[in-house]
Amino acid sequence: MTDDDLRARLRHADPAASLEPASPDQVVHLVEEAMSGTTRRWTLPVAAALVLIAGGAAWAVTRPAPREPVPPPVAAASAPVPGVVVLTATGMQAKCREPEPQRLAESADFAFAGTVRTIEDGRVTLTVSRVFRGEVVGSVQVAQKGESSEQMLGSGKFEMGREYLVAAADHTVMICGYSGESDSVGLRDLYEAAF
Amino acid sequence: MNSDARRARFERLAPVVIDAVRRYLARRTDPATADDVLSETLLICWRRLDEMPAEHLPWAYGVARNCLANAERGQRRQFRLLARISRLDPRPAVLDGPAPPDGDLERALRSLTAKEAEILRLWAWEDLAPAAIAVVLGITANAASIRLHRAKDRLRKTLTASGHEQSTEGSRP
Repeated sequence: MTDDDLRARLRHADPAASLEPASPDQVVHLVEEAMSGTTRRWTLPVAAALVLIAGGAAWAVTRPAPREPVPPPVAAASAPVPGVVVLTATGMQAKCREPEPQRLAESADFAFAGTVRTIEDGRVTLTVSRVFRGEVVGSVQVAQKGESSEQMLGSGKFEMGREYLVAAADHTVMICGYSGESDSVGLRDLYEAAF
Repeated sequence: MNSDARRARFERLAPVVIDAVRRYLARRTDPATADDVLSETLLICWRRLDEMPAEHLPWAYGVARNCLANAERGQRRQFRLLARISRLDPRPAVLDGPAPPDGDLERALRSLTAKEAEILRLWAWEDLAPAAIAVVLGITANAASIRLHRAKDRLRKTLTASGHEQSTEGSRP
């Protein structure tokens, strides 16, 4: 059996062979739906996010010093430390679909904005500036496995002194565009839309 | 690219993508899921239009493939089972005209691994060359070429074997 025979035989069994083409109306509708889906999503939230970012920056400058010192970072993840949340970030590479606020809202059980204070032995400690969802804590530790997570927006991994928006589900950092540097395009909007 | 040019480009590309992805999905899932996944695929194509290569179909199939995988993961187990049954056992009306369903071929495809069967479908049904298959599956062109070659070999062998079985078990004396 040649390649051509094989292909002909497979084609003969093509379930879509008798599929009617989409009607022009259907095509127009689908195209409009796709393009308007983005318009709905981006115009208003972008304006809203700009206001919030400005407000957040002003708040960060003027906020009072925390009353209690931030608990010091701990080396072991085993014992829960009050005020510290321990997360894991896998270095896994995955195919991602476009992040959606709805999915973020459904999946994340913990989400915060924070700045990286220390990185020691693959353990990243962030000082929390805002908790979007979950327990309000002063700092969060993330065990960063592997070299980097390609799906973290921005540089792909935690770096000293930078601010991040991080969402986690079941103590694991959500990648695929759901976590990253706080100035990554669209990420802040995503958080504002989700929480 | 300004927004008018972007819209114009999408409006030009979309009909071809819609036609191809509709077929792609009709071959792989139930009609309701196909509709949902088609809408989602288009939304992603629109948002990521700037990343879309000139050879846009394999890229769009890749997006559809991911969306479909996500949709199937998200659905309940039972629903998935039903969808799979309807896919494995399609109504005769779906098949091409009066030709009887190719039972041997279906059995042979089912005996291959999911990856092998999928690469054969991409080759025969979506009419893709190894380089394009590589884009859909997110693998190298070389790997796609090798896997396609192996899958063809396995299908050929399985079909030949089942052909022999049939001729010995059949009604011929």
